[in-house]
Amino acid sequence: MIPSIGKPLRWAVLATTALLIAAACGGGGTTTGTTTFKGTKKLGLSTTISGVSATYGHAISQSVKMAVDELNASGGVNGYKIEADVLDDASDVNKAVQNTQQLVLQDNVVAMIGQVLSSQCSATMPITRQNKTLVIAATCNSYQLTTEPDLVNPYYVSIVPNTYMEGTSAGALAAKLGVKKVFIVSPNYLFGRSETNAFVAALKKASPSTEIVNSESTWYVPFPTNPRWDSTISAIQAAKPDLVYSNIFSADQVNFIKQATGVDPDFFKKYPMTTLSSVDDLSALTSSYPLGMHLYMRAPFFALSNPRIDDFVKRYRARYNNEYPSDWAVMDFDAVQVWAKAASAAGSFDSDKVLKQIVGKSFQSLRGYTFTIRPGDQQANVGETIGTTADSGGKYPFPTLKEVTNLKGDDIIMPMTLVNELRDGKCEKGGNPTTTDFALCPSWKS
Amino acid sequence: MNPAQVLLFAVGGLSNAAYLFIVAAGLSLVFGALRVINMAHGSLYMIAAFVTVVVAEKLGIALGFWGGLVAALILTGVVGAVIEVVVLRRVYREAHLVQLLGTYAVTLIIAGLVRIVFGPNYRTMKVPALFSGSLSLAGFSYSVYSLFMILAAILIAAGVYLMLYRTALGRNIRAAVSDPELLSASGIDVARLFTTVFVIGACLAALGGVIVAPSQAVLSSMDTDVLVLAFAISVIGGLGSILGSLVGSVIVGEVYSFGLQNQYTNQFALAFVFLIMAAVLIIRPWGLFGTPEQ
Repeated sequence: MIPSIGKPLRWAVLATTALLIAAACGGGGTTTGTTTFKGTKKLGLSTTISGVSATYGHAISQSVKMAVDELNASGGVNGYKIEADVLDDASDVNKAVQNTQQLVLQDNVVAMIGQVLSSQCSATMPITRQNKTLVIAATCNSYQLTTEPDLVNPYYVSIVPNTYMEGTSAGALAAKLGVKKVFIVSPNYLFGRSETNAFVAALKKASPSTEIVNSESTWYVPFPTNPRWDSTISAIQAAKPDLVYSNIFSADQVNFIKQATGVDPDFFKKYPMTTLSSVDDLSALTSSYPLGMHLYMRAPFFALSNPRIDDFVKRYRARYNNEYPSDWAVMDFDAVQVWAKAASAAGSFDSDKVLKQIVGKSFQSLRGYTFTIRPGDQQANVGETIGTTADSGGKYPFPTLKEVTNLKGDDIIMPMTLVNELRDGKCEKGGNPTTTDFALCPSWKS
Repeated sequence: MNPAQVLLFAVGGLSNAAYLFIVAAGLSLVFGALRVINMAHGSLYMIAAFVTVVVAEKLGIALGFWGGLVAALILTGVVGAVIEVVVLRRVYREAHLVQLLGTYAVTLIIAGLVRIVFGPNYRTMKVPALFSGSLSLAGFSYSVYSLFMILAAILIAAGVYLMLYRTALGRNIRAAVSDPELLSASGIDVARLFTTVFVIGACLAALGGVIVAPSQAVLSSMDTDVLVLAFAISVIGGLGSILGSLVGSVIVGEVYSFGLQNQYTNQFALAFVFLIMAAVLIIRPWGLFGTPEQ
C-alpha cells in the first residue's frame, strides 16, 4: 500500500512550491551575486536586430545590455535590478509600433531607449506620449521629432546630434570646400529628407552659386533600397559633380561604395563624397573603404579618445569577442547612463520625476565632454565629428579619420529662436517640398 | 541623354537584370514543373551568398570565390532536397495557400538559423582579381564584375536551355510543365523528378547568391529583397518559362535603371515594375512567354 502524505506535509509542499514559483517570476526581491535587489525594473528597447540595419541594432543591443549589467553589478538603480527588455523590430516601422505597445502596455517598462530609424521614433511617439513613458533617443535623429507640433512629446529626450545639426554642418563644410556642383543621394524617408533638406538650406545660404546637379526628385532613392546602385552610379558619372553628398547608411552605404569602386577604383577621387558614416560601415569594408572620403560621424571612438571612452572600448571588446564599439554603441551606452543617473537622482522611476532630473541637467558623456539637455526642446548639445578617411597605420582593421574636427554641440544646435518659430507657426508655409521648413523662418532668413 | 549615357544606364540595368534572372529562373522552373510557389527560394539565395563569403574568408578571395561556388551549390542543393522531401511532398496536392505557408515557414526557420550560424552583422568580400577592374568606353567607366555578371547570366541561361531542350531530364521537366498527369501515367518516377527539379531550382538560386556576394553586403534580409522582384519577374515572363524570366528580368532591370534617375519617374520606378506585373496579369495572366494553364 502506498503511504499517503499527511495534510500538514502536503500544505508545506504546496507552500514551498508556490514560493519557488513566485521567486522565479520575480514577484519579490531578487539576488544577483552578493547583491539583493528590491525587485526588477525593465528598460525597453525595440531595435533593428534583423533587417537592413541589423548591424546597428546588434551594436545597440549589446551596448544597452552591457550598460545594464554594469549598473546591476554596482547595485542597480534605486535598489532595483534593471533588465534590458530587447525586442527585434527588423527595421520595420509597424513592428516597432507593435514592440513599443508590448513594451509599454504589457512589459511595463519604466523607460525606453529610442529606435534606430526616425520613422520608427515618429510612429511610436503617440504611444509613449499617451502612456508617459520616458524615451531617450540615441540613434533616430530627425529634428522634427523635437520641433514639429504634432510630434513633440514631453517625455522624449534626444542625446544624438539631430538632422539639423548634421545637415547644416555638412552644408557648411561643402560650402567651405568651394564646390560648384553637388550630386545628392539620400534615402527616401523622414531621416533622409530631413537631413538632406537641412544640408541644402545651409549650402545655399553659405554658397548660393553652388548647383545641385541632379533634379530634386532624384535626390531620394527608395528606402530600403535595391541592393544594386548601378543607376545612381551611372547618373553620377553622367553628371560629373565636384562633390557627392550622401546620408545613406549601413548596408546601403556599403553596397554603394563597393559597386562604385567596382566601376572605377578612383571613383571617389574623381567624385569626392561627403557622407554620414559610422564605425560599423568602416568595419564592414575594412581596407576597401575608400581613403580621402569626407565623413561626418556621431561618436567614433578613435577620434574622441579620452579615459572614459578608452576604458569603455576595452570593456566592450573584452565582453564582445574583440568587436570595436560603433557610434551607436557609444551613444546608447550614454543613454542608459543618463536615465540611470536621473532615476537615481529622482529616487523614483516615475517618468515625470525622472524627466525633472534630465531636462536642464548636464551629463558626462563617453564622448569626452559634458552635454546638457536643453529645456526648450529636450535636445542635448552633443557634437559631431568630421574628418577625412585615412589609413590607421595598422592600429585598427579599418580606416580612421585625419584632419579631425570635433564640432561643438553649442555651435551646431538649432537656435531656440528657430525652434520656437517652428513650433509657433511663424514660418512661411508651402513652397518647394525640398525646401526645409526652417529655411522659411524669419530668424534663418535674417 | 546622349547615346553614351543611354549605353551606361542600359548596361547598369543589365547587370541588375543578370542576378535577378538567375534567381527568377529557378523560381519559375520550380513553379512551372511542380506548381509550387516556393517562398524559401530567397532563403536558398541568401545561404549561398553567406557560404561564399565565409569560404572566401577562410581560403582567400581567389580560391574562395570558386570554393564558395562549389560549397554553396552542394549545400544549397542538399537543403533544397531536404525541403522538397520533408515539406513539399506533403503539400503538392494542397491548395497554393498551404504550399505558400509551408514554404514561408521554411523561410522563417532558415532566417533564424542564418542569424545564429553567421551572426547578425552583414559580411562583405572583395571581387576576385580575375573579375576586378574597370573598362572605359566613351568617357564612362564600366565595372568588369558587372560585365561578368551579365556574361554569367547568359551562360546560365544557355545552360538551362540546353538542359531543358537537349536532355531527357529536360524533356521530362517540360512534360511536367505541360501535362503533369500524363507524365505520371508514362511511368516516370515523378517523385524523383520533382526532387531533381527542386534541387536544380535551388542551385539556380545559389548561383545568384554566389554571383552577387562579391558586389554587395551579404545580410540576413537578402532573402526578401530578392524574392519580391523575382516573383514579379516570373509573373511578367510567365511561370515555368526560362525565356520569360530572361525577358522579364531585362524589363525590370532596365525600368529600374532608367526610371530611378529620371526626374518624372524617380518616385515611381519600383512601382512601375509592379504596374507592369499587374498589366500582364490582366491582359495575359499566364505571362509574356508562359502557357495558359489547362
